[in-house]
Amino acid sequence: MATRWEYRDHGPIREILRCAYLTPMLWFMGRAVAAAAAVDTDVRREFDTLPTPFTFALGVWPAGPAMVVAKGADGRVRYRGGRTAGVDIDLLMQIKHLETAFQMFTFRESTATAFARNRLLVQGDVANAVPVARVLDMTEVYLLPRVIARLAVKRIPRWKPWRTWIGRLRIYWRTLWGY
Amino acid sequence: MTHPAFYEFGSPVRVVSGLTALERIPGLLEDLGAARPLVITDKGVRAAGLVDVLTGALGNGLEPGGIADEVPPDSSVAAVREVAHRFREARCDGILALGGGSVLDTAKGVNILVSEGGDDLMAYSGAGALKRRLKPLIAIPTTAGTGSETTLVAVIKDAARQVKMTFVSHYLIPDAAVLDPRMTLTLPPHITAATAMDALTHAMEAYTCLAKNPQSDAAALAAVALIAEHLPRVMAAPGDAHARLALANAATLAGMAFSNSMCGMVHNLGHAVGAVCGVPHGTCMAIFLPYGLEYNLHKNGPLTAELLLPLAGPEVFARTPAYHRPFRVIEAVRQLNRHLRERTAGRHACSLQEVRDARGQAQIPRERLPEIVAAAMRDGTAIYNPEDLDREDVLMVLTQAWEGLPLDRTRVRQG
Ligand SMILES: [Fe+2]
Repeated sequence: MATRWEYRDHGPIREILRCAYLTPMLWFMGRAVAAAAAVDTDVRREFDTLPTPFTFALGVWPAGPAMVVAKGADGRVRYRGGRTAGVDIDLLMQIKHLETAFQMFTFRESTATAFARNRLLVQGDVANAVPVARVLDMTEVYLLPRVIARLAVKRIPRWKPWRTWIGRLRIYWRTLWGY
Repeated sequence: MTHPAFYEFGSPVRVVSGLTALERIPGLLEDLGAARPLVITDKGVRAAGLVDVLTGALGNGLEPGGIADEVPPDSSVAAVREVAHRFREARCDGILALGGGSVLDTAKGVNILVSEGGDDLMAYSGAGALKRRLKPLIAIPTTAGTGSETTLVAVIKDAARQVKMTFVSHYLIPDAAVLDPRMTLTLPPHITAATAMDALTHAMEAYTCLAKNPQSDAAALAAVALIAEHLPRVMAAPGDAHARLALANAATLAGMAFSNSMCGMVHNLGHAVGAVCGVPHGTCMAIFLPYGLEYNLHKNGPLTAELLLPLAGPEVFARTPAYHRPFRVIEAVRQLNRHLRERTAGRHACSLQEVRDARGQAQIPRERLPEIVAAAMRDGTAIYNPEDLDREDVLMVLTQAWEGLPLDRTRVRQG
């Protein structure tokens, strides 16, 4: 019966599977953010409002999979790997639980909702989290088909179809093959 | 009632409220293990005679280690350093913060320095930089609005670097809040009005924005009911101590709600106008509150509708058809604003163009709206607003609010 409550013990296998999904997902997302900064003027504009240089990371607390993205002194945005240890990070956003991260990256809970539910630990200047959240939203709109993107962001921006499609191709190309 | 899948709520502030609440301070300090507090306040509060009322209430049993009244209208790094120096010189062991938002912010900054040591506030800015308890801090608000006595945030201006530093930590929440009507009785009508609208905004945004939860909802609804009932009373009879105390309670409750549930675009726009044009926070809140509710209507209309009960009472609520309730709430807020404008002989502004500085000059020229847009894009409260806001949306709302015209709902873009 659907309503019956049942305790299920998720063993380490589930955790390993979650990590196996999240690690490449965050790798992809991190590289896609760097690609979007090079391709889209609105994403670029959000990066322009951040200090230079600036490094931010999004990962799973305490030491789970992560993505580190940096805007260098030259203003260029680069993906800086999946490890936060030993990196000087200006804004660290950590998802409190692996399961939550999985919810977020399977687009069942939007970034805004996750923030609202206090699911992230934020360290650093909070004002900088705003442009970063916008960058993540716009990158997701590029990467995801509209039906899924609608679950991930508050509102799909009204871009011209050619902007979405050409941008999407360029961002996927750069993300996969680098530049 | 909405019930999120996950949330966190914390409000460790001990609240002492009453006509003789100040007299409890020595006892509170003793519980906290402090015996020689530094009173931190500003010149205005001192000139209003409130420091004397406080020291009188402390009696002979407790001698403050000193009275630092050099807090500027906008809390600054320099003031924090100076007051921290006085705290150390006088060998104090706790803080009594007597004042409004900037006094509380300064007191929190001072507490960081005197607890952690050193002179470098920068090292503790941002979220999560403080790792342990600070020295005892008791807040005695002299305005009923900001709710700073319950919040985990301090904003301090660094004039040299031209930035506002934000400090976020659970350790910044004061240990106790003492609400005594003697502290707000002499507040001039236009400040009473603006600060109460700030509190109303905290409650309404906490209730209708994304981070709401059952704990903050309870506090928010109580705050709305208290303000709706007692703000008109205080405006009619400023000396009504019971109504004043009710407003102080509302502000504290609203503070508890929004420091846990955050706020949305009303604060986003208000912070931006404050930063660009130097307009008092409460004034901005009063103007933007109906617009925030209007803009988000398609996302949170049913929640806004629920506010009609505490705002207008059970008769009006029952008489109004459900679909019409959110519109009634928005209209009621606009009516309240107009009532306050009347009661303050026009000093309470209902639109951005009506805002005047002390010399009667218009404070928000229309040409500065684009600057305000840029500032709004960098404010953290945007995340918690139900609907997205981009530059065009912000400019659209600002333009309507400048004119004092309701939003054209067809121009609000929905996903
Ligand atoms: Fe406020």
